[in-house]
Amino acid sequence: MALIGSTRRSRATRVPPVVLAFVLIPLLAEAFWVFWPALQGFYLSLTSWDGLAAPKFVGLGNFSEMVHDPVFRTAAINTVLWLVLFGGLSAALGLGAALLLQQERRGVGFYRAALFLPVVFSLVATALVWQAMYQPDGLINNVLDGVGLGSWKHAWLADQDTAFYAVIVPALWRQVGYVMVLYLAGLKGVDPALYEAAKVDGATRWQQFRHITLPQLRSVNAVVLSVIVIDSLRSFDVVWALTRGGPYHSSELLSTYMYSTAFQSLRLGYGSALAVVIFVLAFGVIASYLVRAFREAD
Amino acid sequence: MTAFNASRRRFLAVSGAVGTGALLSSCVTQSPSASGGKSGGPVTLQSNLSSPQAKTSMQQLVAAFNKSGGAEAKLNTVASETFRTQLPTYLTSANPPDIYTWYPGSVAESYAKKDLLLDLDDIWGKPELSGYSDALKKLCTSTSSGKKVFVPTSYYWWGMFYRKSNFAKWGVQEPKNWDEFLDLCDKLKSKGVAPIGLGAGGDTPWVASAWFDYLNIRVNGATYHRELLAGKHRFDDPEVRKVFDTWDEARPYFDPNGTAIPFQDATTALLQGRTGMMLIGTFFADAAPKDALGDLDFFQFPIIDPKVPVAEEAPTDGYFASARSKRADGVKELLSYLAGAEAQELYLKNSSGTALPTHPDAKDAGTPLVVKGRKLIESAADVTQFFNRDSSDALQPTADTALVHYLAKPKQIGSILTTWQRSAQKIWSQ
Repeated sequence: MALIGSTRRSRATRVPPVVLAFVLIPLLAEAFWVFWPALQGFYLSLTSWDGLAAPKFVGLGNFSEMVHDPVFRTAAINTVLWLVLFGGLSAALGLGAALLLQQERRGVGFYRAALFLPVVFSLVATALVWQAMYQPDGLINNVLDGVGLGSWKHAWLADQDTAFYAVIVPALWRQVGYVMVLYLAGLKGVDPALYEAAKVDGATRWQQFRHITLPQLRSVNAVVLSVIVIDSLRSFDVVWALTRGGPYHSSELLSTYMYSTAFQSLRLGYGSALAVVIFVLAFGVIASYLVRAFREAD
Repeated sequence: MTAFNASRRRFLAVSGAVGTGALLSSCVTQSPSASGGKSGGPVTLQSNLSSPQAKTSMQQLVAAFNKSGGAEAKLNTVASETFRTQLPTYLTSANPPDIYTWYPGSVAESYAKKDLLLDLDDIWGKPELSGYSDALKKLCTSTSSGKKVFVPTSYYWWGMFYRKSNFAKWGVQEPKNWDEFLDLCDKLKSKGVAPIGLGAGGDTPWVASAWFDYLNIRVNGATYHRELLAGKHRFDDPEVRKVFDTWDEARPYFDPNGTAIPFQDATTALLQGRTGMMLIGTFFADAAPKDALGDLDFFQFPIIDPKVPVAEEAPTDGYFASARSKRADGVKELLSYLAGAEAQELYLKNSSGTALPTHPDAKDAGTPLVVKGRKLIESAADVTQFFNRDSSDALQPTADTALVHYLAKPKQIGSILTTWQRSAQKIWSQ
């Protein structure tokens, strides 16, 4: 390596201008459109700003307010709960669906397509359909009535006890298909010879799954985990379209709370501080995972 | 080679992570792009009237103005949610649109006191505006500078709407006061009808504020109401508690789905006779089928304390202009035109026709409903706008949370009002 490096050094220092342009122009665009606004966001989180007057510097005031803000606490707990429920269930159900649908049988393509179809739809459109189903005289209540469970009828989105879970279901409905496709691709990559060898050794189905399938899916798990964490923390559209974080903040996530403080209450400083918290959470989870993953790969 | 691969990976990992985070936070600080033309050119009218009917009316209005010669105008219709969140950005940008559809009173005042609105004193002296009522003159004057900053063009009213045929079928009449109102509710409930529809679910939780507004102006008066909304009283005061004590008397008669369905669905329930009546603004008639319009009637929100001067809720709509407009002459020409009787009649003819013109000589739709509505407002001792218009759009979500919470958990009203005061304080103190 060192030898090759020194013989090529003279050429390497003269970078062709085209290459330089290819690197610098996107970097400049990125810096202007992404890094600069992001830095501004960090600055704004230290201010009190209504969007009209000049921002007023308040130091860490926004963050200390957060500590005493009960809505922030609800939103943070809900976000963690969302990560666990939405993330955990979509991984488990996605893997389950992939295992069920991995064998090439007649009609399996139809089921795969059906499960993947929700991913294609816009989440806001999906949410509108679910909203209609959740209405007091909507499909779900009518079905409950029809099968004699009328006492279970509910204003699903308007009740603080059910709103949060009622919002998770459509999000999950969509995510399962996505995760399933990732796992299906992973399962295709498993060498069938491994299963044959296991069968010859007399391994049970469970043992095959535990000792062949799961270890072979390690690299896919990395992708699934990143996708789930990112998708959980940025979940906004489905909650906003269905409940706007309501009723009285019971389905509030950090993302919806950030939006409503910034753009409804026009407290842009506090909203930016919430955005910084979301960033730190996402960055923390993803970075720690990536660092570990790359260390293992090396 | 492995060393090279690892370092490239690390670089990708780091830059990827940074990029993700930056994207997450960038949505808050995106530098706003100034819309609006260069100086010279047509006067831009930024409109949030994006419903098809209202948008067409506005287009015809602008076309009529352009035909009249003089200055030229360009209509720019923006989705109302975008308009609301972008308005501060428009007004503070260096090259703003000239005229905006918006509300007078404290909402306009929040911009006027930061010197963002154009001084319109001279056109208020012109014939188009000189005949306007004193109440409107007061409403459009900035309390901080004493200058006129707003041109009102129409208003509408809120009332307890019902279907005449249904009231006849149930054998009930309009109540004259609060006790008769409660009796009426009782009678309707015994007939298996949900007496009071609400529609504070979905994306219209603000409808519940109408009940708070009316109960407060009936129990404590309009002056107290406005002061409360301006932060001069507290939401955990005993006066406010009294409002909810009164509400408690009517709450058992509310449609149990009141906070689960948006007002459009609640309107349907009212028209289909599943609910008896509904406190709502005339805008709901836009979506009502034509054959139901003639069957609609309303009564005044019942008087609770006869000693309190009668106030009614009549939100006024109109326009203000940016102080940074580079076409002030054209702006004033267009605003004078919009304030005239001819323009207001043209607008009402093309829209649903349940609004009332602000010009004293402009003719309204003339239906019995509109005549009755006009009489209601003209006989009122005082006029309020609506919760958000009498305070700010930023305060509205605090009311939505508190009122929806109250309707679901009425026993927790004490802690609800404490929380309301705390969140309102954060808005007032900015």
